[in-house]
Amino acid sequence: MEEKHMSELESLQVISTMIQKAKASYHDRGTGAILWGVVVATCSLSTWAQLTYKYELPFDIWLLTVAAVVPTIILSIREGRRRKVKGYDETAMNWVWTCFGISIFLTVFASNAVGAAFGQVKDAVEAAGGARPAIYYSDYSSAFMLIIYGIPTLVTAGIKNFKPMLFGGIVCWLSAIAVLYTNRPTDMLLMALSATCAWLIPGIILYVKSRQQRVA
Amino acid sequence: MFKDLDPILHSQLRLAVMSLLISVREAEFTFLKEKTNATAGNLSVQINKLKDAGYIEVKKQFKDNYPQTLCSITEAGITAFEKYVRDLQSYLQTGAA
Repeated sequence: MEEKHMSELESLQVISTMIQKAKASYHDRGTGAILWGVVVATCSLSTWAQLTYKYELPFDIWLLTVAAVVPTIILSIREGRRRKVKGYDETAMNWVWTCFGISIFLTVFASNAVGAAFGQVKDAVEAAGGARPAIYYSDYSSAFMLIIYGIPTLVTAGIKNFKPMLFGGIVCWLSAIAVLYTNRPTDMLLMALSATCAWLIPGIILYVKSRQQRVA
Repeated sequence: MFKDLDPILHSQLRLAVMSLLISVREAEFTFLKEKTNATAGNLSVQINKLKDAGYIEVKKQFKDNYPQTLCSITEAGITAFEKYVRDLQSYLQTGAA
């Protein structure tokens, strides 16, 4: 491209071509979404299996989510180094998903505290001579997690105009309502379904698309 | 005919660089070179003209022990680009009328 004067139509063509080129230059490879889809679906299915077949793993399977933070950070740094361009929506996405990660850990922390308070109330009822109430906070806590799962998924879907994530986000929120009326093993199945629809499948779609674009 | 159009922007390569930078937050020199198919020397000259006009910011740093040049559009650049597009539109409308 040389420095030369142009007609107004040529100017518009240059603007339009370059904006299209810039848009096509940054695309998510979907690795983070695949990683978290697999981790959450695995943890949920494992919890479902433990509850259904009455066995216990020697460790809390949900600790996998803490372990997954390390490869997420490594992937994010590697992606950042590979990119020659930073888009505006990429910055927004980083903030949304970082806030999501922190929200999840804060919700788990708060849920544990509320669960402990539930236990104290039940102990008090039992100590007062009443029957121990058959109500478990864990039957409801999945709803909060699923509501939070849906938020960044739908924000990403809206900003990137990515329909598979829109569908996934809706599955998360519908599951959040459903788990209020189902038992804990079913909650875990719905959690696995939500993680698969919200992250794993969209992540695989993004990965396949990015490979096709690299080959082309 | 184009006397009212910003002369800094009304040049193919500079306009291409501005159009790329308006769409992103920050871009490497190599990215601009790749997308515009310009030579490094020519692109460097045009980037300096845009920088001198205050339309873009150029940041030089090291990445993995290699020099890296990052370019981003400034507020003045965005305003100038928007005005240029408005002026172009008015030319087109005048031409169509």
